[in-house]
Amino acid sequence: MNKDEFDLVADKTAGALIRASSCFRTDKYDAYKAAIETDDGLSCWAMEQIVENAHIAEKDSSPLCDDTGIPHVILEVGKNRQISGMTLEAVQEGIRRGLRRLPGRPMAVKGDDKQRIDQSLGLFEDSEEVLPAPFTIRYSDDEERLRLHILMLGGGPEIRARTYRVFHRHSIDIVLSEITGWAVESVSQLGCSPCTLAVGIGRSHYEASNLMLQAMAEGRYDRQSEYEKFITGEVNKSNTGALGLGGKTSVLATFMKIGPQRASGVRIVCMRPCCCFEPRVYSVDL
Amino acid sequence: MEKKLVFPIDIKTADELRIRDRILISGRIFCGRDAVLPKIAAMINDGSIKDSGIDLEGGLIFHTAVSPAGVGPTSSNKVEIEGTMEILSHAGIRMHLGKGALRKETAEILKREHAVYAVLPPVTALLTSRVISKRTVAFAELGMEALYELEVHDYPAVVAIAGGESIYE
Repeated sequence: MNKDEFDLVADKTAGALIRASSCFRTDKYDAYKAAIETDDGLSCWAMEQIVENAHIAEKDSSPLCDDTGIPHVILEVGKNRQISGMTLEAVQEGIRRGLRRLPGRPMAVKGDDKQRIDQSLGLFEDSEEVLPAPFTIRYSDDEERLRLHILMLGGGPEIRARTYRVFHRHSIDIVLSEITGWAVESVSQLGCSPCTLAVGIGRSHYEASNLMLQAMAEGRYDRQSEYEKFITGEVNKSNTGALGLGGKTSVLATFMKIGPQRASGVRIVCMRPCCCFEPRVYSVDL
Repeated sequence: MEKKLVFPIDIKTADELRIRDRILISGRIFCGRDAVLPKIAAMINDGSIKDSGIDLEGGLIFHTAVSPAGVGPTSSNKVEIEGTMEILSHAGIRMHLGKGALRKETAEILKREHAVYAVLPPVTALLTSRVISKRTVAFAELGMEALYELEVHDYPAVVAIAGGESIYE
């Protein structure tokens, strides 16, 4: 990879980070429009503010939310494409450039293990010190594909997310019911509803979390499975509403990814109640 | 129809607010969250607030960091935030601005102290576009978590707890 190729990957990554952080996709705008038309009262007022905010953020290429989040990267690689250590370094450099330009919130914690936990040494002044989470690299059936997905994960949903085992008793209904119960509780506590629920179901805690991240990257508001619609409908019966103010729209949609399963009585489920701006995601071909 | 409030406000104005009131907030407001609010509470407890030049009377505390990324409400039900509302209200704060449900006991405390709790969506781009000026007031070493004062116009919010009543009950 020469310098021009390095810069191209870095700039594409930076641009994707900024788009993820400042723009709604069309299907999200449409989901809000539909929710505003069917809801009323304060919940409707809150969603109108959220949409107005998105228009301003997109126009200014500025953050949708002041918690600009922790960058998460998924790379999809087809069999005719290659990535090297230099590709990964270019993506990391792109994240630094993106955080500088956005600008990201300077929330990287200084110090050794103890100091990073107790935050006693304070914070770095530059947002580019916010390191991305470990990258995920996935094989793609599209042999010519080299696609980068960048996601920005805020702190509020992390407080309310859960990864835990479910004894399924050979019924998907039991698993869906458990997810719904978790979601009703967490959405009511989040404060940044309406949520988009991201769910991964796998064989280990790592796999379930990874599937949840894939669900955030690939889910669409205009393409909902039977099970996704079921969860959304059940959680919306809670009447939590936008911002917890009461109303029909507690959840805009559910994005669920069900992976391979273990011969066992247990399913591992990761459920993350993404806030009203999330998933903040953008995908770009490298 | 929104009520327009210009901070600082007096006790009568705070007492007249009711849950579900939509408000537009202008004027000078404080910003602080988990890290700094317990320090301000400690200054009130030891009396050092009097000599600090920090005047809380009639004030509003917005539970947010202030960073180059802008401002936006953090969850107000964190221990360090909700747990300091009583002493901050007693010292003159009339409105706590953030997001998320608070405990029933907090609603009673706010009623007793003539203070209210309002919430707003985390609309950072919109809020940042309505900041007129900002300055660091105290504990600058905390960076984005220091105590700031912003001058703002027309921050949209909803009264969530007032007069002992809570929108979340």
